[in-house]
Amino acid sequence: MLGLLQKIWVEVRWPVLFFSVGLSAIMSLLTALLPKVLGNIDSMFDKMPMIRPLLTALLGVDPGQQVSAQLSQAFLWVHPTVLTLVWAHEVMYCSRMPAGEVDRGTADFLLCLPVSRWKLFLAETVGWLVSGTCIIVCGYMGHLLTSLTVQPEMRLSVLHSLIVIVNLGAVYLAVGSFSFLISTLCNRRGRAIGIVFTVLLASFLLNFLAQFQDWAKLISRWLSVMEYYRPAIIIQTGDFPWFDIGALTTISVLMWIASGLVFRNRSICTF
Amino acid sequence: MQTVDIANLSRNYGSRRGICNINLTIAEGEIFGFLGPNGSGKSTTIRVLMGLLKAGSGTARIFGKDCWNDGPAIRREVGYVAGDVRLYPWLTVRLALSMLSKIRGMRDLRASGIKLADSFRVEPDLPFRKMSRGNRQKVALLLALAHSPKLIVLDEPTSGLDPLMQDTLMTCLRELATRGHTVMISSHTISEVETLCDHIAIVRDGRIVEDSTIKRLQAQAPRQVVVTLRADQPLEALQWPNDLLVCYLPRKNGEPFKSRTTTPVPTSCQDRTCILELIGSSASFIAWAAAQNFDDIMIGPPSLEMLFRPYYESHQESE
Repeated sequence: MLGLLQKIWVEVRWPVLFFSVGLSAIMSLLTALLPKVLGNIDSMFDKMPMIRPLLTALLGVDPGQQVSAQLSQAFLWVHPTVLTLVWAHEVMYCSRMPAGEVDRGTADFLLCLPVSRWKLFLAETVGWLVSGTCIIVCGYMGHLLTSLTVQPEMRLSVLHSLIVIVNLGAVYLAVGSFSFLISTLCNRRGRAIGIVFTVLLASFLLNFLAQFQDWAKLISRWLSVMEYYRPAIIIQTGDFPWFDIGALTTISVLMWIASGLVFRNRSICTF
Repeated sequence: MQTVDIANLSRNYGSRRGICNINLTIAEGEIFGFLGPNGSGKSTTIRVLMGLLKAGSGTARIFGKDCWNDGPAIRREVGYVAGDVRLYPWLTVRLALSMLSKIRGMRDLRASGIKLADSFRVEPDLPFRKMSRGNRQKVALLLALAHSPKLIVLDEPTSGLDPLMQDTLMTCLRELATRGHTVMISSHTISEVETLCDHIAIVRDGRIVEDSTIKRLQAQAPRQVVVTLRADQPLEALQWPNDLLVCYLPRKNGEPFKSRTTTPVPTSCQDRTCILELIGSSASFIAWAAAQNFDDIMIGPPSLEMLFRPYYESHQESE
């Protein structure tokens, strides 16, 4: 296992550093800017009515006519840049093996090592969890440190932000395990990444359409990942989203097991 | 106990043919040559053995263990080099040896690996992406040999290697075989297999068409005979023995009378040189030839190339 982790470390250390620093910087910037920008959101609602359903889709709740300073911090956690960085990292990471290995022809070397495929998959999973934790914690630290510089009434409570982090972690698990599943079914890394991003984009689109279409609302309630990640509600109520986190974690575990089984039983052909 | 035991093994790629009813055994300490044209099923068989592909039907066993279900235990004692060597671009020999030591749970492989790197003339700290094709092949070989495996499986290992390096590899494999290690080598080069292997099998269109020892095959293999007629000796008067296969006879009316050989015949000798394949014993031929009083006779050693060429030729014709 140590040798496999060493290989993973050599391969992913720079991307993880890049994503950690990037997320930290973005979250820091958004923490400082969002209260100022969203202070004028009411006038924007009047001028551009389309913005409101868009924000409702992102937040999972109607922001109402006035966006509170604390609620404005909820945008931080659903900002497309933040989600894109987190998901880009895990989609890239989780598509490395086996799709990436088969694609670049190194699967022969890796799979002929004296370790079981489950062990290989487990090592990849450890790397995925550690790197994800590292990136999300770095992002959170960026937010936390910058929030010290904003006015106290604009700060989120640490408890609320930690609950949001846990919910984001559950989303991370769901997207990553889905990426693993697609990766185990593909021989081309590009194809695996394309499929996962298409599904994520469709999920986003569905969430947005749900503001206008009943059929989309019906599907979105079950299939959109954003239905299970609503930082605004957490910030407003302070409740721990047991159902959302439970649903995301259950789906993640099921998809992770399915990925492992597919990988274990699949013939790998590099020619 | 057999090191490798394959029974009725079949594997298809969807509608594409892979291998069909392969039966093969390789004994401990043997150097086994796996021959066959491109796409005949050599690599598929090896991939099933290495646990990369699941057998469609039949069994593939190494050290008595099932190749698919007991893969990790088998691969602990196996060194494998794929036909198309691809390694991580960032990987250096030193780093790879350090990782492999941990993965294999063995003593530090760096000492034996660096020693091999020296004999293969590979820089241990050069990343794989900066290496030439030949050096990449050498790295794959030394990583496969560093832990001194009981079974070494090499899929066309000499491709990309210079002749000196090929010799070094052959010497290394022979030494390992004398110490009881088993070697399975797939190759296109019949001469290479002929000099190295004890036992060979030829696979064509996914089936084993020949499985024998080199000694037995050499006894069956034809010898090439080059006969130079006397200037006054009429070709038509000769009654060739039955165990001679005529490959080339001198020109008649400006065209070769018969030609089935790839050996070039010098222009100066074309009117008097005959190239033949001797299938039977050379003693009876020598007795016959002595009575003919030829200008010159040259009898070559038994050649597996001549024996196997028909397998390759008919494969190319069918393609």
